[in-house]
Amino acid sequence: MAGTDTHGRAERRSAGELESEVLAALWATERPLTPAEIQAEIDGGLAYNTVHTILKRLYDKGLVLRDADGRRGAYRPAKNAAELTAEAMHEALDRGPDPIAALQQFVTGLSAEEERALRDLLGGGAV
Amino acid sequence: MRVDVYTPLLLSLLLPAVSPVIGRRVAPALAARVLTAAAVLTAAATTWSLVLLATTLLGSAPSVVAEAREDGQRLADPVPAAIGIAACAALTVVARRVHRAVRTERATRRALRRLAEGHPADTELIVAASPVPQAFAIPGRPGRILVTSAMLGALEPAERRVLLAHERAHLAHRHGALVTAVTLATAADPLLAPTRRAVAFLVERWADEQAAGAVGDRGATARALARAALTTCRTRPACALGFTDRAVTRRIAALQTAPPPRLWPVALAVLALGALSALCAADATNDMLALLTSVLF
Repeated sequence: MAGTDTHGRAERRSAGELESEVLAALWATERPLTPAEIQAEIDGGLAYNTVHTILKRLYDKGLVLRDADGRRGAYRPAKNAAELTAEAMHEALDRGPDPIAALQQFVTGLSAEEERALRDLLGGGAV
Repeated sequence: MRVDVYTPLLLSLLLPAVSPVIGRRVAPALAARVLTAAAVLTAAATTWSLVLLATTLLGSAPSVVAEAREDGQRLADPVPAAIGIAACAALTVVARRVHRAVRTERATRRALRRLAEGHPADTELIVAASPVPQAFAIPGRPGRILVTSAMLGALEPAERRVLLAHERAHLAHRHGALVTAVTLATAADPLLAPTRRAVAFLVERWADEQAAGAVGDRGATARALARAALTTCRTRPACALGFTDRAVTRRIAALQTAPPPRLWPVALAVLALGALSALCAADATNDMLALLTSVLF
């Protein structure tokens, strides 16, 4: 796939969507990331300046912390609200099949045979 | 009236029978919309037919019948009393089922609103710091996407984009409202259960196709589904029981072939099924009114 193609697609994404992607990238890893590392981590070639702008906006909203773990210029996600949300989610899940089961979840269950087929699809590597 | 009043019941057997085929052959966006529309029309017509059948009990109430006979009119009661009574019983069940479905929907909304609490209003992604892989859309204004940290950590960068684009499609195309509509239709008319399952599957397929378009890669979309499903399974004992409708596998298989065509003629035929039951119910209403008028005046 041509670099310009992916770049063009990135440009079409809205600011809100890019915020989600940067936040998702920060949550996907245990360690704090610098803007350059985030840029590399995000699929679809964002400009460095764009990453910087998005990080500033996330910081202003209190969703990320700067200079995390003594690493200057590195960011990691703020945990407080996310932990409260997790508690609320588990509480709702524990209450029984409803109401969260009624939601459209990204994926549902698998049989053993399906599991094997999916592992093959991903190239047999560790998932 | 004799035929018309039963036709919606007959059609609510036909619609679920064709739903799975429509779901496999027609583009998911079109199929989900027409199946939902047809299900809602059929459920409304079926419920109304039950109301009409129950109303015939009034028509055969002794005093009214006696009066009609005094007028020298021979009253041909087209509906046996037993069917009227059965319709009354069915209506009670329908009312209870719809009430319960509405209550469940409300509870879901409340639970979802709670999950969005404490997050900035202008932020699309809500992360839950949880070891359980999970992702779903939270409809509303604005709509949100909830993903757990475990799910984000399990996916590759391109796959995270697929996940976000998938949930975004649910919100942008109001899939929540579509599923709620078909769920309430099924509550009113349990015969439509296969149609509800078809629509629930189709909105996932629809979101998959949107995600594949957004990232420009059907293969990456299929891999995202596979990895998310495997990750989810590793932490959830229910997976090992083989309790599955093969939904994920079918979605992945669909992504490995070309997107299905829109097939308007088939879609229009499904809509016609729904419209037909509505027309029959309307016609039966006319007959009913004529009958009541002849009895009472």
